[in-house]
Amino acid sequence: MLNETNRPILDAILDELIPPSEDGKIPGAGALGVAEFLPTANAYAPDAAGSVRTILDAVPADFVALPRDEKVTALKRVEAAHGQAFETLVRLTYMGYYSRPDMRPHFGVGAHPIHPLGYPVARESDAMMDELTAPVRARGKVYRDAR
Amino acid sequence: MQDDPVDVLIIGAGASGAAIAWSLLETRMRILCLEQGPHLEDKDFPSRDDDYELARYGEFSCDPNVRGLKQDYPINADESCITPVNFNAVGGSTINFLGHWPRMKPSDFRTHSLDGVGADWPVDYETLAPFYDMNDRNTGVSGLGGNPAYPDYTPELPPIPMGKLGQTLAKGFNEKGYHWWPSDVSILSEDHDGRQKCVNAGTCDLGCAAGAKGGTNFSYWPMLENAGVELRTGARVREIRVDKSTGFATGVLYHGPDGQVHEQRAELVVVACNGVGTPRLLLNSKSKTFPDGLANRNGLVGKNLMFHPLTGVAGVFDEPMLGHEGPMACSILSQEFYETDPSRDFVRGYGLHSGRSTTPMTYALGGYGIDNPIPWGAEHREIMDNVYPYLAGLTIVSEDLPEEHNSVTLDSDLTDSDGIPAPKITYKLGENTRKMLRHGEERAKEILLAAGAKKVLSKNDDKVWWRAGWHQMGTCRMGNDPETSVVNGWGRSHDVKNLFIVDGSIFPTAGAVNPTSTIQAMALYIGDSIKTKIETLFD
Repeated sequence: MLNETNRPILDAILDELIPPSEDGKIPGAGALGVAEFLPTANAYAPDAAGSVRTILDAVPADFVALPRDEKVTALKRVEAAHGQAFETLVRLTYMGYYSRPDMRPHFGVGAHPIHPLGYPVARESDAMMDELTAPVRARGKVYRDAR
Repeated sequence: MQDDPVDVLIIGAGASGAAIAWSLLETRMRILCLEQGPHLEDKDFPSRDDDYELARYGEFSCDPNVRGLKQDYPINADESCITPVNFNAVGGSTINFLGHWPRMKPSDFRTHSLDGVGADWPVDYETLAPFYDMNDRNTGVSGLGGNPAYPDYTPELPPIPMGKLGQTLAKGFNEKGYHWWPSDVSILSEDHDGRQKCVNAGTCDLGCAAGAKGGTNFSYWPMLENAGVELRTGARVREIRVDKSTGFATGVLYHGPDGQVHEQRAELVVVACNGVGTPRLLLNSKSKTFPDGLANRNGLVGKNLMFHPLTGVAGVFDEPMLGHEGPMACSILSQEFYETDPSRDFVRGYGLHSGRSTTPMTYALGGYGIDNPIPWGAEHREIMDNVYPYLAGLTIVSEDLPEEHNSVTLDSDLTDSDGIPAPKITYKLGENTRKMLRHGEERAKEILLAAGAKKVLSKNDDKVWWRAGWHQMGTCRMGNDPETSVVNGWGRSHDVKNLFIVDGSIFPTAGAVNPTSTIQAMALYIGDSIKTKIETLFD
C-alpha cells in the first residue's frame, strides 16, 4: 500500500491530524510513524487500507510542499468530499498514536502495561473521610420509606 | 445426540446463573450450566499488553457487534438510540462490567404505589436485604457504612480510594448541600478470600487481570467448580423444548463446540441470559403449545425493555485530576435527585456518578460508550494537552420507565454464527427520561463549578450515550398476575412450571442504579424460594 512516493504524503497528512506540540517535545502522528500502524488496522475498521488510499488519492500531489494553513484547507476539502474514509483515517490515526506506550506519559498516563502494576493511590484517611462526609451525615436520611 | 439428563440446567454463566447455582448447591442436585462463551484465563485479559487500549475497539469491545466473535450474537439496534452491550464468557458481562455496586432502594420496589408509574415488585427491599448481604459476602464488596441514602448496612471491606477526582467533586456536592457518598463497589480494597486487592489500573472494562473485581469468573465460579457444578463452555442454546402433554420444559437443544446440535434434558430449566438474550431464547422456542414463543401466552416476553439512559458533563480544573488512576466508573455517587420530588417536572429520579476519566485513546475517540472523536488538527493538540488531564466528570444515570413499545423481538434476517435469529431492539427515550436528563445536566454543571471547575463541557444535544445498554431489564417482568407478567414472585414462569428466569429481564422497574447487585440478590432469593418450596415446586 505504501511506497517511497506516497509515504511522505501520508506522514504529512498524519502530522496535520495530530500535529506536534509547539515546543516539539511531543511528535506529530506522522513523525511518530503511525503510518506503519495503518496497514495492520483492519481489525478496527472494515476497509482501513481502502480509506487510506482514498485520502491519498484525494489530496493535492504537492501536499507535502504546501504551507501549513494550505494543508489544513486541503484536508478540510477532502474531509467534506470523502467523509467516511476521512473519519476512518482520523479514528485509526488516534488509535495508532495513543496505542504507543511512549506517548501515554505525555498525558499523565503510565507507559507500562496497566497490569500488574497499576497505580499507587492512597486511601483517604478516616479523618479526611469523616470531614468530607460530615455535611452529608448531618442532613440525615435521604431515602423514602416504602411501607 | 442426547446427553445424560440433569436435575438443574442453567443457561448462562454470568451474574445470575452463577448466583443461583451457588444457592442450589446444598440441594445436592446435579447442576449443569451451559455457556456460549469460553472460560478466560488471566493471560487472556489485554491489560497486560503494551497497547491495551486497542482491545477496547476490537476483541474486548463491550459491543458484540464490534467484537463479532464466534460466541457473540449480533444485535440489530437500528431502531434504538441505545445499543445493548455485553460479554459472552464464563462470568458473562461481569467480565467487563465496571463493578459499581449500589443497591436498589426501598422506593424502587413500589413505584406504582408511591408514584403511580411502573409496577410494584412482588418482593420488597426488606425481603431482599439478607440476599444482598449474602451476595456481597460471596462477591467481596468495598464501601463506607452509614450512607444516609439507604437503610443501614455496612460493606465488609473499607472503601476504595476516591482519589483526587472524587475528593474534588465531593467538595462541590458539599458546597451545594447535596448528598454524595463513596461508591459501593464489587472491587477489593484489601486482599480478601485468596484474591488480590485492586491495583487502581482503571481498565475494569477490559477484564480484571488482578482478579480484584467481583466478576463471577473470580467470585462464584471457582467455588462452583470445586463443588462439582458442571460447566460446559462453547455451548449455545438454540431452544428450550417442552412436552406438549404436560406443558413442562424437557430440556434444550444446543450447539456444542463440536459444531453439532445436542439435546440436553433436565428436570428444571433456569434461564440466565440477560434482558436481551433471555427473551431472544424464549421467542425462538416456538412449539404447538407455545406458537408465539415459550412462556409467552400473554405476549409480554420481550416487552417493556428498560435501560439506564446516560449522559455526561465534564469540568476542566486547574490541576490534573488523575482520573485514570482507580476503578473506572466508581468514585462517588450522589442520590440527591433519586426520589420523586413533586416540584420537578418528572417522576422518579437519577443518580449522579463520578466516573473517572478514561485513557488517552478512548478520550480522543469520544469517550467510553460514545463514537464521536474529538477534532483533528491544532484543536486536537490543545484538547489533549490542556483539557484531557484536567477533567473530572459527572454521569447522569436516569431511571427508565417500562413502556411496552420498547422491546426485544427476533430479527427476520440477521442470525448468529449458528443460524439462530438475532435480537432486534426497538427503543426510544420517554419524555420523562428526557426531562430527567436535562435536569441532571444542569445540576451537574452547577456542582462542577462549585467544585472549582474553570470551564464546563456539555454536549447540549439531547442525545444519550450510544453504548449505554449495559443494564437490560424488564423483558420478562415478574408479578403476581399472569396476565401482566411473565414470571411469578419467585421467578417461575406462569406458563411453564419448571422454567425459571433469574436475570435482569424479570425486573418490573429499573431503578436508577447499576443492577448487578440486585440481579444476583434476586437470583439468590429465587434459589432460596426453590429450596423452600421444593416439595411443591411444580404445583
